[in-house]
Amino acid sequence: MPFNAIPAEDFLNREPELNYLKGLSKLKANALGGDVFLDGARGMGKTELLKQLYRILFWENNVVPFYYSFKTANLKGTYFAQDYFTGFVRQYVSFVKKDPSLASHVAEPLQRLMPTISSLGLYWLIDCIEDFQGHVNKNDFYWQLVAAISAPVMAAQKMGKPVIVMLDDFDAAAHLYESSLGDAHGLISLFGESMRNRRCPHVITGSAGALESIFTDHSLIGMTERMRLGPLPEDLAVTLFRAHLTNLKITCAPGVQLEFLNILRGNPFYIKNLAKAAWKMQKNVINEKDLIECYSFEVSDGETAFYWASAFSRYVKNSAQRKAMLKLLMHAIENGGIEDGKRLSMVSGLGEAETETLLGALTTSGIIRAKDAVLQDFIHCLYMKEIEGRNANDAREKIEAKYIQKREESCFELVIPMSSNAELVVAKAVEQIGKNMNLDDEFLNYLQIALIEVCINAIEHSGSYEKKVFLKFITRPDKLEIIIENSGRPFSLESIKEVPVEEKMRLGMKRGWGYKLVHKIMDSVKVERVNDRTRVILTKNIDNGS
Amino acid sequence: MKSVQFSVASRREGDAAIIYPKGYLNNLSGENLVIECGIYIGKGITKIVVNFSETDLINSIGISMLLQIIEDLKNIKGTICCTNMSKLLRDTFEMLGLMQHMLVFPVESDALTYLKTGKL
Repeated sequence: MPFNAIPAEDFLNREPELNYLKGLSKLKANALGGDVFLDGARGMGKTELLKQLYRILFWENNVVPFYYSFKTANLKGTYFAQDYFTGFVRQYVSFVKKDPSLASHVAEPLQRLMPTISSLGLYWLIDCIEDFQGHVNKNDFYWQLVAAISAPVMAAQKMGKPVIVMLDDFDAAAHLYESSLGDAHGLISLFGESMRNRRCPHVITGSAGALESIFTDHSLIGMTERMRLGPLPEDLAVTLFRAHLTNLKITCAPGVQLEFLNILRGNPFYIKNLAKAAWKMQKNVINEKDLIECYSFEVSDGETAFYWASAFSRYVKNSAQRKAMLKLLMHAIENGGIEDGKRLSMVSGLGEAETETLLGALTTSGIIRAKDAVLQDFIHCLYMKEIEGRNANDAREKIEAKYIQKREESCFELVIPMSSNAELVVAKAVEQIGKNMNLDDEFLNYLQIALIEVCINAIEHSGSYEKKVFLKFITRPDKLEIIIENSGRPFSLESIKEVPVEEKMRLGMKRGWGYKLVHKIMDSVKVERVNDRTRVILTKNIDNGS
Repeated sequence: MKSVQFSVASRREGDAAIIYPKGYLNNLSGENLVIECGIYIGKGITKIVVNFSETDLINSIGISMLLQIIEDLKNIKGTICCTNMSKLLRDTFEMLGLMQHMLVFPVESDALTYLKTGKL
């Protein structure tokens, strides 16, 4: 398993991290470093980094690499101990003999390795195996675990060669149990002894949310540093994608900038999957529109969709919970986050306690906080299929249409303080945006008036402590959409009464003209409440003849 | 859109006062406009011409201030004439139904002629 890494030349932009991890055993031996928690969004390449490190260490021969990936099926303590121990023995022997194939023969009993171990003179390892077998024979649960977990430390001490222990998805270790799930809390702390050993640096991955709580265990606290794996820069993301395409014998159409790749935010996993999607869809020459088509397939039915669907399955037990989770996630996407409160159980359709539990799991997993457009599109697709009952093609087309439309639009954002004449800055901005769109001056003057009115309404009446108005201008060939948001007191169009001028004069009501003007000027005016913010959406259709 | 600091100037011609609001007509500038008109009304002037030639933008608060002036003049049976209005300003007043409460002339001299002779 640790040998199925991608070619080193395709593993981009991680040299500093790899070099640091390669030197970790020296740092730890000199008490200058400890263990490392690799942090980063899903798909950012944490596992791949471990595999690359494994391969380098294996052939350099100075430090013994041991890689272990926690599996849901092996969380029963005795299964885990067996799997962990035999995995270590195999990988150790494979390292000493410089025979990668030995590490891969997971089904082969350790007994068959005995002649090889003897021939290598690793008699202490034979003692180790016999000791472990003794604990198994005695059905000694605790000592099986201790013997397995401490095997790398034992090896480092016997041979004087450090062992780097790489634990992938380590947060799963928090769920180790004796006979049934949840019957033995805290078994993860048995790793504490091994992690403290100066000859055995540990590099671990897992959900940051889950691991934060694990590291509050006093046996593990304070000896682990966090290494964050960020996204690939834009140019390297393109380079990586092109490299994948080349491997798949796909070329890019002349002049294609691959701008759409920005949506993947430099995530190597997504980049690889998108290239594979192009291959599955039998593209020989790819252009920007093909990319959108392949992407829509990927988030609907491709490997990315499968990956996220599998990740979701970890947090839900049945179809009702899955639907509830989808509704909550969709709610979070549409509202820019999720607020606390009893109202969420109305969204999920579950009881308050069950909703709370589900939210807790989603928060710990990091899924609900992720500002990941790909994940959001996957959720949207799944929502369309499982909640709205649409078919997969519909969902794909919807995603595709969204990005084709986006290609033709541009977006400007502006934040103004709630201070005197700040609305004039907005008027000035819309004037320039309008000029960029070739809108005529007269029309722009009306737009300025409408915007000024919405801004002064926010400034005057919101009572916002934030004292800011957020504006977003989205221009499309046929439409201008302006979104104005501010925190503070709610506002709705229903609260505005249409009063004729004569009546206003008679009643001494001189104010309240603003939205009347806005309605006259714009084609559509919508007001929404999003969490603690009021969002006004103004739309003006553009007559391209004008 | 010009970025002119608001100011208000005025002059008298016969029994009429001519007011020149300049720049962006909002709450603060609207108040200045009301004060300026109020000074003339206080002196017994009942005919006011507002020359909008240098008013580039107006907001609803500025409009409400203008309504205040209309009301003040109405109470003393006075007359308000608006002149030199841009199409934008005219359309804005039209949208809000204000036009029937004021006399609108293309240029200041037309308004003054009307106020003197009672003829257009």
